[in-house]
Amino acid sequence: MPKTALQFGATAENLPIIRHFVRTHLAKVVLNSVELNQITVAIEELCANSILHGNKEDAQKELRLELSVQKGEVHAYLYDPAPPYDIHSYPQEPRLLRADTTRPGGFGIYLLRCFMDEIRVRRRKGGSSLYHLVKRLSSVPEGC
Amino acid sequence: MHIEVQPASAAGQVQVSLDGELDALTAPKLYERLTQLVQQNPSLKKIILSCQRLTYLSSAGAGILLMCVDNFSPKGIALELTQVQPEVYNILDLLGLTKLIPINHA
Repeated sequence: MPKTALQFGATAENLPIIRHFVRTHLAKVVLNSVELNQITVAIEELCANSILHGNKEDAQKELRLELSVQKGEVHAYLYDPAPPYDIHSYPQEPRLLRADTTRPGGFGIYLLRCFMDEIRVRRRKGGSSLYHLVKRLSSVPEGC
Repeated sequence: MHIEVQPASAAGQVQVSLDGELDALTAPKLYERLTQLVQQNPSLKKIILSCQRLTYLSSAGAGILLMCVDNFSPKGIALELTQVQPEVYNILDLLGLTKLIPINHA
């Protein structure tokens, strides 16, 4: 599958557009609906973190999501103008409720780590970040 | 997401049908609607969320369900999910919500 890209502003209004983009481009490659949903959730959680926390819902901040499939692996790249955070530093198991607030915490990163085989985070020149997610597919149509 | 609330039964049960996707954008609307429902029905005992048409659940949606359990349980109101699709059940199960909320598959 050739690389496809979606550019979007850092607003939660764009979350359905991100999901639609992911599903549309992976539906022919990821045949299992639960697996397709898991990849969609993982990518959306990453984007939601960048939108809500990294960029504080500033619609003027532009993010870029790239998708490609190579040798049975889905690759998702998120170019984020905000500085990177260390996804791997979060606890393995989410706390159902954080002690300091009534809001649940840690679910999104937990799902992201459950569903993706590799997560790479890189600081880019100027302090922005690049997140690279890799998912090895359980079954792959011929030619992917 | 469309939220449809049925009239409460004499036994204090109310069915709420969810149609669409529960994410960071729509989850606060669901919480607001359910909180309003609880406030308007002092004799409420159980909220049954019918999820046959709930096609997507993100961590924000799961978080709101957990908040509902946390806030409604002390008031004696139980939450139950019915007709949950496999994609949504997979998320609830991974996050441990299947141990806290009675949930049945579609």
